[in-house]
Amino acid sequence: MTTKAQVAGKMTSRQRVMNALNGLPVDRPPVANPTSVATVEMMDLVNAYFPEANRDPEMNARLAATEYTEFGFDAIAPYFSIIQESSALGCDMQWEQKDNWPTVRMANPIWKSSRDVKVPADFLQHRDITAITGSIKLLKQEFGDDVAIIGKTMGPWTLAYHVFGVEPFLLGTVDDPDETMAALHRLKEFTVLFGQAQIDAGADILTLPDHATGDLVSAEYYKRFLLEMHQELAETFDVPIILHICGNTIDRMPYIAQTGMAAFHFDSRNDPQEAMDAVNGGIKLVGNVNNPTTLYARTPAEVRKEVYRALDAGVQLIAPECAVPLKTKAENLVEIPIAVEDWAAEHGMI
Amino acid sequence: MAIQHEGLAKEFEWVTRPGEQKHIGEAIEKTDALMQELAYQLILGANTEVGRLTKEALDNGYTANQVLDDGLLNGMAIVGVKFRDNVIFVPEVLVSARAMKAGMQHLEPILSASGVEPIGTVVMGTVKGDLHDIGKNLCIMMLRGAGFVVHDLGVDTAPDEFADAVEEHDAQLVGMSALLTTTMPNMGRVISYFEDVGLRDEVRMMVGGAPVTQEFADEMGADGYGENAVECVDRAKELLVLLKELKA
Ligand code: B12
Ligand SMILES: [Zn+2]
Repeated sequence: MTTKAQVAGKMTSRQRVMNALNGLPVDRPPVANPTSVATVEMMDLVNAYFPEANRDPEMNARLAATEYTEFGFDAIAPYFSIIQESSALGCDMQWEQKDNWPTVRMANPIWKSSRDVKVPADFLQHRDITAITGSIKLLKQEFGDDVAIIGKTMGPWTLAYHVFGVEPFLLGTVDDPDETMAALHRLKEFTVLFGQAQIDAGADILTLPDHATGDLVSAEYYKRFLLEMHQELAETFDVPIILHICGNTIDRMPYIAQTGMAAFHFDSRNDPQEAMDAVNGGIKLVGNVNNPTTLYARTPAEVRKEVYRALDAGVQLIAPECAVPLKTKAENLVEIPIAVEDWAAEHGMI
Repeated sequence: MAIQHEGLAKEFEWVTRPGEQKHIGEAIEKTDALMQELAYQLILGANTEVGRLTKEALDNGYTANQVLDDGLLNGMAIVGVKFRDNVIFVPEVLVSARAMKAGMQHLEPILSASGVEPIGTVVMGTVKGDLHDIGKNLCIMMLRGAGFVVHDLGVDTAPDEFADAVEEHDAQLVGMSALLTTTMPNMGRVISYFEDVGLRDEVRMMVGGAPVTQEFADEMGADGYGENAVECVDRAKELLVLLKELKA
């Protein structure tokens, strides 16, 4: 299927996304979800279902491609969840079924302290790692010239939730912050290894989720534990990095703007205008159409309104706020690039 | 009258809503220096100190109920407000929860031996397919802090597990948490299951979790919805009264 959005644009989707991330001119703002747009409807369409589509490169690529072929977004993001590395590290997994995301059973953590953090010799050969790198290779071959391929590598903070358990890890930040820093530094190795493997496989961009959200920890925490590490990670990779933190993040956006990353993917709980003011040009923003209410339960007209609100505020890349709910209707997702096209036409861009 | 304890008085400044100021303020003002110190140490999350002070109070003739009501719970009430208002975050709450546990270790054996009736019994869990539990755990902590007995079913809880637990513990309230749109419908499934097995009228059922709204709660036939842990306690108290009226 070729969507209206694809026909009308002048640049390729890939150029549009790369330009927007690099601060270069675009024919219209790109649409790209750096997290996931896998839906149950698309699983049925291309015959690639959860949980297998998370673990098999071909199924993964088939499902991931629908982001471009069916919804008309400008990017393809094949890592749908946040658990691939954790599975490779041996975490207790719950793979779930078609209509739910796989997850780590964090009540049974595998590690207790930074000393336990060791890189398994075959980490990059684990099937849940090669599912993604393999899929990126396939996607690169088929869509690489036209579409931006977005890989994803978990930041140390999110990995820590999985390997230590959320509560033990967060208690540790109060009891022994030096130990927390040591653990984060060691976990960062996985972020680098998996990120680089995806770049080698052909990823144009990396998303780096690291859930130090305002729903859990203070802005001061972000600054103390993560800012420097994120700056270092931004330097490490030679592709644009999109930091992803869902939830309330306005209070830490001034710090996030100093990471040196290309963009920040933000949640609908933050007003787009306030967010633009908070980052003050220090970093591009990607977002922030609401998932659980608007995309999941409302109509295209309401999706359109939120897209316009983000564009009017100056948000550079338009996207749902996080991994879209699996039962999101296609018509609501298709509406996003259409609305962007219309907004761009009204603003004399296209 | 003002709060005598300097540190606690400072902490109390975070309580700004008039209703809460009156309620929590009055509860603290009638307590003595030791209980105020206990409340203060709980807010700081000093678990060893809370354990020590609790024991000291018991040794000096305070009843377990006094220590709970005048010390620990007053501290916890301020922790709940500070968390809701984004003054503190999850790590700080977890630390206070751990301190609460240190105190409860000394109180629980006495309280259960004395046969004092809890204000109500709640069965609480995160629904099937969902493993988010931070919010649910905070609600449980606040419910316990308010005097409820709570049976924590953990995460990924099936409808029959909720029902079995209600029967086993003779619970009046069911609390369900869901953080995913994919699992929110499972709250409705628990409610239908309770109807199917004839338990629906025996309990009041409340729901919560970030994506849940009053609208969703009404749609699936829940009796109550709470936006945060403080509201969870308010709802639990209201629903308990309602249930008693219904059964009377
Ligand atoms: C921390 C977190 C995680 C942790 C969970 C750790 C844990 N042990 O709980 C990790 C990183 C492991 C995780 C995993 C996943 N997550 Co998550 N996660 C979050 C995050 C960032 C914060 C949630 C949280 O703990 N908030 C803090 C607590 C205190 O708030 P709360 O839970 O809302 O609870 C309060 C109130 O709601 C209320 N309350 C809660 N329960 C109840 C019950 C009753 C009865 C009452 C009255 C009140 C009440 O009181 C609480 C205290 O005030 C949210 C984003 C967000 N900002 O909400 C995403 C979010 C919930 N996750 C999301 C997703 C997609 C996932 C994954 C599927 C990711 C993936 N693709 O693999 C997996 C899910 C696996 C599964 N099957 O459960 C999405 C859900 C989207 C959707 N549309 O459904 C969210 C919303 C992010 C987003 N913006 O899209 N996640
Ligand atoms: Zn997210």
